[in-house]
Amino acid sequence: MLEEVGFVDLTVGPAADTFGGAGGEPNARAYEVYGYAFLARRP
Amino acid sequence: MTDVLVDPEALREQVRSKYREVATDPHGRFHFHTGRPLAARLGYAMTLVEALPDRAVESFAGVGNPFSMRRLEPGERIVDIGSGAGFDSFIAADQVGPAGSVVGVDMTTEMLEKSTETAAAMGAGNVEFRTGLAEALPVEDGWADAVISNGVINLCADKRAVLNEIWRVLRPGGWLQFADIANGRPVPTEALRDIDLWTS
Repeated sequence: MLEEVGFVDLTVGPAADTFGGAGGEPNARAYEVYGYAFLARRP
Repeated sequence: MTDVLVDPEALREQVRSKYREVATDPHGRFHFHTGRPLAARLGYAMTLVEALPDRAVESFAGVGNPFSMRRLEPGERIVDIGSGAGFDSFIAADQVGPAGSVVGVDMTTEMLEKSTETAAAMGAGNVEFRTGLAEALPVEDGWADAVISNGVINLCADKRAVLNEIWRVLRPGGWLQFADIANGRPVPTEALRDIDLWTS
């Protein structure tokens, strides 16, 4: 969707285990939910 | 087919309710980590985090580190979407320095009160907080050198509207650097339409 809007040079960082050890961990594990950093540029 | 699966205003009210709790009771029980332990978990530079007062950090509830792939430049103008109690805005303010400017935008009154009071207590003259929505930012066209956000866009019903709004406030050549969650396995459509699951 970022590229559809027009952003370029999209980079995605490594996964962070955002919910590990928290109450939301079971749901996060069920759907392989992780946190990511995204970088993009408006041309 | 529309990208919008739930009523945007109903979802906003659900999010406000959750993050009102995070603002006023930051050490309560949530399904996510908060505060300094979360900042350490997400790889923030802890020397800077440790220098911030507790009230600037305790309600932090991000999902990643929007500064991990690009450090902000001195003098840049930054918009922080969903600034909460101000944690990422204060990190940004440190990076852009006194010649830069940070505008944090949030829709939860208790978060805005907390971030504004903290900025005043810190004497942070290069950061201000405004009430607003991610889909209607109170920022003029092309003002920002970079837009940051952390765990917020996934909580917006109309993500395309948010991205179009980010595009509007960024100058040509400006950066979008944000952190958010993504799932590796598909979530059933019925779950995506269940508004209670968006914040749980």
